[in-house]
Amino acid sequence: MALLELKNLHVALEDGTEIVKGVDLAIGPGEVHAVMGPNGSGKSTLAYALMGHPAYVITDGQIVFDGEDLTEAGADERAQKGLFLAFQYPHAIPGVTVTSFLRSAINAIRKARNGGQDDPIAVKQFRTDMLAAMDRLKVPRELAQRYLNEGFSGGEKKRVEILQMAMLKPRIAVLDETDSGLDIDALQIVARGVKELVGPEMGALVITHYQRILNYIEPDFVHVFVGGRIVEEGGPELAHKLEAEGYEAFTPKEMV
Amino acid sequence: MARPELLERYRALPLPTTSDEPWRFTDLKGFDPDAFGAEGGGTTPEASMLDIDVAGVAVVTESGIEIERAPEGIIFAPLDEHHERLGQLVGHDEKFAAHNAALWQHGLLVVIPKGMKLEQPLYVRIANTAPKSSLFFRLLVVAEEGSSATLIEEYTSASPELEGYSNAVAELFVEQAAKLEYVSLQNLSRETWHFATHHARVERDAELDWVAGGFGSKRGKTRIQNDLAGPGATSRVTGAYFADGDQHLDYDTFQEHIAPNTTSDFAFKGALRDEATAVWRGMIRVEKDAQKTNAYQENRNLMLSKQAHADSIPGLEILANDVRCTHGATLGQVDREQLFYLMARGLSRAEAERLIVRGFFQDILDRIELEPVRETLGEALEARIPQA
Repeated sequence: MALLELKNLHVALEDGTEIVKGVDLAIGPGEVHAVMGPNGSGKSTLAYALMGHPAYVITDGQIVFDGEDLTEAGADERAQKGLFLAFQYPHAIPGVTVTSFLRSAINAIRKARNGGQDDPIAVKQFRTDMLAAMDRLKVPRELAQRYLNEGFSGGEKKRVEILQMAMLKPRIAVLDETDSGLDIDALQIVARGVKELVGPEMGALVITHYQRILNYIEPDFVHVFVGGRIVEEGGPELAHKLEAEGYEAFTPKEMV
Repeated sequence: MARPELLERYRALPLPTTSDEPWRFTDLKGFDPDAFGAEGGGTTPEASMLDIDVAGVAVVTESGIEIERAPEGIIFAPLDEHHERLGQLVGHDEKFAAHNAALWQHGLLVVIPKGMKLEQPLYVRIANTAPKSSLFFRLLVVAEEGSSATLIEEYTSASPELEGYSNAVAELFVEQAAKLEYVSLQNLSRETWHFATHHARVERDAELDWVAGGFGSKRGKTRIQNDLAGPGATSRVTGAYFADGDQHLDYDTFQEHIAPNTTSDFAFKGALRDEATAVWRGMIRVEKDAQKTNAYQENRNLMLSKQAHADSIPGLEILANDVRCTHGATLGQVDREQLFYLMARGLSRAEAERLIVRGFFQDILDRIELEPVRETLGEALEARIPQA
């Protein structure tokens, strides 16, 4: 059964410009879906709207998560239910260390799942989990005491996004262009992090322009996304076809 | 000057208005300093912001000063109005300083004798307790040669709605090679007008480390002056403030470099919510003989609402030619993208704001040496973000 369902999702900017023009998508646990599209197709808008960014207005359709309508929910509530977005451009939070940020996030989620009552993770447990995850994802331990994303290299930012995913244990992870700006080593680490988590507990939606990341995270389903719509769907072979033929072949005639 | 003359002096000085440059952004309309009675009698608040072990405790209210505990070997006692140093740093040429000089009654004298190192801090609580009454606190500190000590003062009100007028003057003498840590926390009710004139003189190779925390009060002005009077003198002032509702905070700082090879480092950060406003005015003055001065001043404000507003007015006046003076001021909003990023990790909007505010103040908090003070200030700043 699908865990995350997008039903006829339409998304517009605050000025009314429609970017996402009716998307249907269903993702179940253990599944990896790839949304592949060229620049400007609205991929990132889809990702932000999924996560509840206030600048992207859902004008029609629904987001249903585990049978619950989250179309109107705030980003915090979506995250608490188990939705996660790995950002293409993670933001720096000066003065807040990776450690204190992660602990705050974990405790916020625990609180929400505990009926609004505080249920903080034991400091020792948290530390053990975090260091283990950092080592596994080859995130240098010194980053734990650095301010979140401040002065991080592109690769460090992406790895810390995956570290957050590993620590927060979402049920659906959306990866927005996580491959951009990563070298092959970093890409392998990130991919390994995602693969470790995909299973009965988690499904993933990989949003990307290039097929490259899909060599490391084999998708079960590929959705070709052009002009705010899914124009073609298939299995992993579709990604290879795209790699060979480019997006032109999928561009709807009325848009040419 | 005798008290009646000082009172005359006070009366002769007009109440400042916004056409007086230092008061341009602080409007005292609606304030009548003479409308507040001197009688006390309210209940003294027990609660302190701080949880810290101290060596000496004094409590000052409209009705008097009580020395609850004083350590051996130092003077920690009521201040005598004939003390020879009284008025040497803060005179009576300004309206509120004159008002204090004329009417202060319950002052505190702290003398740390030569070479004495006091491990635990001294603490004084200054509490407005009765409605519509005024409290004139006077503090005189002498840290004698080679001594070291910490003094924490905390301004509070008996209740959060108490209307009051608080007027404080502090004169701090940091003698040769002495070290004084001075922590001044202002947590008065939002209905209290607060005027403070704090002036320190730092002698040769002496060190002054000052923390100013501003959370309460309605409106007023806190003036902080440090004279770097002897070669090798250092002063560091760290300020953190948070205002909301219709509060208005005003910090007026003055770094006066008199002797050569002196250092001053003033950093103030504030966060403002609702319709709160703040003004920070900083002046570095380097006298002709104060070569090799190293002076720094900064003021950074974080706005948590569209209606909040802050003004920063840095100033330099340099009469020497071999100095290093730097300053910076910024005004920023909480970034919507930062908020979204944190909320996308499950933090509520209030929790996200709290984390951003805590982060904003982190470098300021890191300057504070006393851990309980650092913790208390950090928590007090965070606590000002209401739960959603």
